[in-house]
Amino acid sequence: MAIFGKNKKTGSAAETRVEIPAQNGSVAPFRLELLITIVEKNKAEFYADLIQSFECNFQFTAPAHGTAKADILHYLGLADTDKAVIFSVVREDKLDDLTYMLDNKFRTVRGGKGVAVTVPFTSMIGTSVYAFLCNAVNTVKGDE
Amino acid sequence: MSDKSYEMIFCIINSGFSETVMDAAREAGARGGTVIRARGTAGKEAEEIFQITIHPDKEVLMILVPKEIKDAVLDAVYKSAGMSTAGQGIAFSMTVNRTVGLN
Repeated sequence: MAIFGKNKKTGSAAETRVEIPAQNGSVAPFRLELLITIVEKNKAEFYADLIQSFECNFQFTAPAHGTAKADILHYLGLADTDKAVIFSVVREDKLDDLTYMLDNKFRTVRGGKGVAVTVPFTSMIGTSVYAFLCNAVNTVKGDE
Repeated sequence: MSDKSYEMIFCIINSGFSETVMDAAREAGARGGTVIRARGTAGKEAEEIFQITIHPDKEVLMILVPKEIKDAVLDAVYKSAGMSTAGQGIAFSMTVNRTVGLN
């Protein structure tokens, strides 16, 4: 399952696109982070849509499975450990709200428990790619 | 929620060795992990130079651990499925900025 820049339930990213503010000496005013979200397989689309609503233009989902042993699964009455890992590129200024929302959904959605972590990006090549990932316009012309 | 006391350990191992790695990681204090199927891309040339056989079917095992036990888990992973074993694994860790859903 791969999802690239689709906006299904929430407002489109184009509607909320921002202009990159001019900052002295900085070509990357928005910091980006990779959000890794591990959830049950059947809830992957729900969480992908949720993350996308926070101006996330690029994400992909990989099928995965947990490492719980068969005897533990049997003890808990579970059939399998099918999971999905959602990798999303998110602007740092959106992460407070997004992680708050994810925490809330992990606690309240039935069968929607999961874990999410963020890892900061340290470098990137290509201004148009950067603008796409942070959902911003007015980037520097050319690949700098 | 902003919490830098955890690290994510990534282990890239030959397919079928995730159980072995996870058993070793559990002994070092890890609680659980998530496995993604993957494929290696090392070329024939590299195989000849380094005298190794690259098994293209791989598994990527992700284990989230507290910083304090990261070294112990990495050590256990290396001993159980390092490059000199059949698992031919490599492992590295990354500091995570935020964690959600651990409590």
